[in-house]
Amino acid sequence: MKEIKLSGLEEILYQETLHNGLEIYLLPYENKKNYYITYATKYGSDVLSFVTEEKEEYTPPLGIAHYLEHKMFEEPSGEDPFTFFSYSGSDGNAATSYDNTQYTCSGTKAFKENLKYLIEFVNNPYFTDENVEKEKGIIAEEIKMYQDLPDYQLEMKLRENLYWNSPRKYDVAGTIREIRRIKKEDLYQCYHGFYIPNNMFLLITGNFDKEEAMKIVKETLEEKKSKPLPKILKLREKKEVVKEEETIYQNIEIPKVGVGIKVPKDCIEKEKVETHLYLNMLTTILFGASSEFRERVREDQILNDIYMEWEEEESYHTFYLFATSTSPDQLLSEIEYELSHISITSKAFERVKKVWIATEIKMMDIPEKAESNLFEDIINYGMVVEDRIDLIRKMNVKEMEKIIKKLDLSNRSTIKMLEKRSKKKRNYDS
Amino acid sequence: MQYTKKDLGSFNLHIIETNEFKTITMRIVFHSPIKKEEITKRIVLSDLLLQSTKKYSSKRNMIMEAEDLYAAEVYNHTQRIGNYMMTSFILQVLNDSYTEKGNFEKAVEFMRDILYDPDIKNNSFKEDKLAIVKKNCEGNISSIKEDPQEYAIIRSKEAYDKDNPIAYRMVGYKEDLEKITVKNLVESYEKMIEDDFVDIYVVGKIEKEEILRIIKKYFKFRKIKKKKMPYEVENKPCRKRRLMAKEIIEATQSKLAICCPVGKLKKEEMNYPLVLGNILLGGGVDSKLFQEVREKNSLCYTIYSGYSKLDQMIYITAGIDRENYEKTLTLITNILEKMKRGKFSDKDIKIAKEFYQTSIESIEENPMNLIREYITQEITGIEPYQERGKRMAKVTKREIIKAMKKVNMDTVFLLEGNEDERD
Repeated sequence: MKEIKLSGLEEILYQETLHNGLEIYLLPYENKKNYYITYATKYGSDVLSFVTEEKEEYTPPLGIAHYLEHKMFEEPSGEDPFTFFSYSGSDGNAATSYDNTQYTCSGTKAFKENLKYLIEFVNNPYFTDENVEKEKGIIAEEIKMYQDLPDYQLEMKLRENLYWNSPRKYDVAGTIREIRRIKKEDLYQCYHGFYIPNNMFLLITGNFDKEEAMKIVKETLEEKKSKPLPKILKLREKKEVVKEEETIYQNIEIPKVGVGIKVPKDCIEKEKVETHLYLNMLTTILFGASSEFRERVREDQILNDIYMEWEEEESYHTFYLFATSTSPDQLLSEIEYELSHISITSKAFERVKKVWIATEIKMMDIPEKAESNLFEDIINYGMVVEDRIDLIRKMNVKEMEKIIKKLDLSNRSTIKMLEKRSKKKRNYDS
Repeated sequence: MQYTKKDLGSFNLHIIETNEFKTITMRIVFHSPIKKEEITKRIVLSDLLLQSTKKYSSKRNMIMEAEDLYAAEVYNHTQRIGNYMMTSFILQVLNDSYTEKGNFEKAVEFMRDILYDPDIKNNSFKEDKLAIVKKNCEGNISSIKEDPQEYAIIRSKEAYDKDNPIAYRMVGYKEDLEKITVKNLVESYEKMIEDDFVDIYVVGKIEKEEILRIIKKYFKFRKIKKKKMPYEVENKPCRKRRLMAKEIIEATQSKLAICCPVGKLKKEEMNYPLVLGNILLGGGVDSKLFQEVREKNSLCYTIYSGYSKLDQMIYITAGIDRENYEKTLTLITNILEKMKRGKFSDKDIKIAKEFYQTSIESIEENPMNLIREYITQEITGIEPYQERGKRMAKVTKREIIKAMKKVNMDTVFLLEGNEDERD
């Protein structure tokens, strides 16, 4: 096992890659009671089409990765993994996103048994016509639950308006019409394509013995054969957005706005980790809690709520900003103004660095948070960033300015969500 | 880990010394008997205190100060705890070994500025700051339906008994918001500082004497407060016939919310067998509700039950298709009835007990959980969590049945989505 000292932190991470390509990351804590196990595949709803082992192009129904995650919990014995984990008061769960599917177990007892069980249930799918059919009602209700949330509708509409072909324009769960077409053969096809050791990893944090964990992992996983990952078929995504502006009407009280910016990757020459740091730095300084922008819109009383994030897809870094505002037009023009008058002061820059470093340290306090932090690293960079604190310390305004000069922020889409009754009124007026 | 409680006359200081965390967390808790017409005022007041102080003229200045204290997090929270309204001001900051000596004390001083040096001049708060807070509060009040699940639960409580504190809306009320002025808010502020019961909780790697010194230096409350009224809410007896209520909403999914008041039980029964009964009923993915309604009948994605000891109530909620309303309700009714007849196995009980033990063991994992635990002990007088684990292990099936027999469905509320599903 390789020992990795995480910079600026006291914890040591252990890493090993098995012969079949499966990666293992272990971060044991002393004096904690809970352990957190994540067994994951780097397969999510980003895969729309691929070439099967029979050399055929194959496009499963949308939402297949998420459906597959739900169905992994079927066992021939009829006893599901939730029940197995609950014997020891442990908690099993799973989640699917664009670029991964993860299966987790956390608890304070029965570490060995639960680890072994988690690996084995994910390694052994059991799909029947009946059990596949049964899930349709459950997932349809899951989809409907999200569809009823205005924030979710806003985000999905913005994604549709940003992307022509990218899988990021679809909901991870797919649509009710699409999931109704799913058959067990589809699930097996995707499972055998992407649930292979060289596309998977195991991550454990918290209270456990690393030697014991390694022993179980080797016993259960070393025999698994690696095989080539299927060729994923991707469509080219145009630089331009699909729609630059749109207004939609919903049953809401306070209007909402969304801004999406597709930034072509080739305009930034930095390493991936640093690119992410600098892009985040830029938008934190522009729109973060202590930005001048926030003070201005607060004093003008045109901001109720704001949320932003960066997302990386195949060819673009995409920035998303969502806000709630009683004056959506004014807020959008304020955002527009910030984006066209970027200025970075070294004071603000250094303050954000200080905050980030403190946040990194705080994160390690709670194994559950450390787990999700490491998970993001493995998915984004294929490794754990061991010197992030050093990288943050090294960041400087000059580099930031160089990046800003080359940054193409011109491919934007904005969306307004207004109260339904305002539409009625408008119709009446006209 | 070591817990010490100090009675400092006008407030209690609770110190939880532990080496487990890199942070120090401090929570200052104000509580007073809840009055419906004061909820909105309190929400606005506590938000306003975080907008500016005498020393920091704007929210931005305050945030920058907190950031300079190595990303100290400062926030507030107003909630209802049984019969009480509880406002907390929370500080979380890295301990001095990760920052510089004196950083924690500076952060405490910052909290002091917020609470004792508010932006009051000529007996009024600032109009412009109040306008910001009011507008945000108004937004939260009016967008309450945007979280249909939460909204359904609130509506079910209102249908059950609108005058009961459990039915109060903790986002506030529009009619009360309109009455708030820069002047009358000063009175509310003084009342909070003077009359509320105060507890200060501190968790982290710091010596008891040092904490005591710092807290005594910065916090002084004048009054010694009288004995408190009970925290437990008194509920009306369960209706003979179920109350069925409904509201139509523009949504594809419908939400079902059910209030089940708990009849007369001893404290011991409320604290142990009923807790297990609720875990069995709808506490998690292995519960009867989840297994029957979701896994066997595919009727929903979410379904769970929650038990509030102080409200003496079990709440059940599910997201369903309106066409399946009757079917789901019948299923839930049968599941509850079966539990009262003891139709659950020893294995089920064992699982529920394990579930409880894990939650007990997880308390020490997170500073906020630890504080929440000591708040619960303080207001309910319940045994410490280490002791609770032992007691829970001894609960029998008969005790669970006896407790569950006191749980009855009183109010069934359907928030009916009237839209067809989208493709």
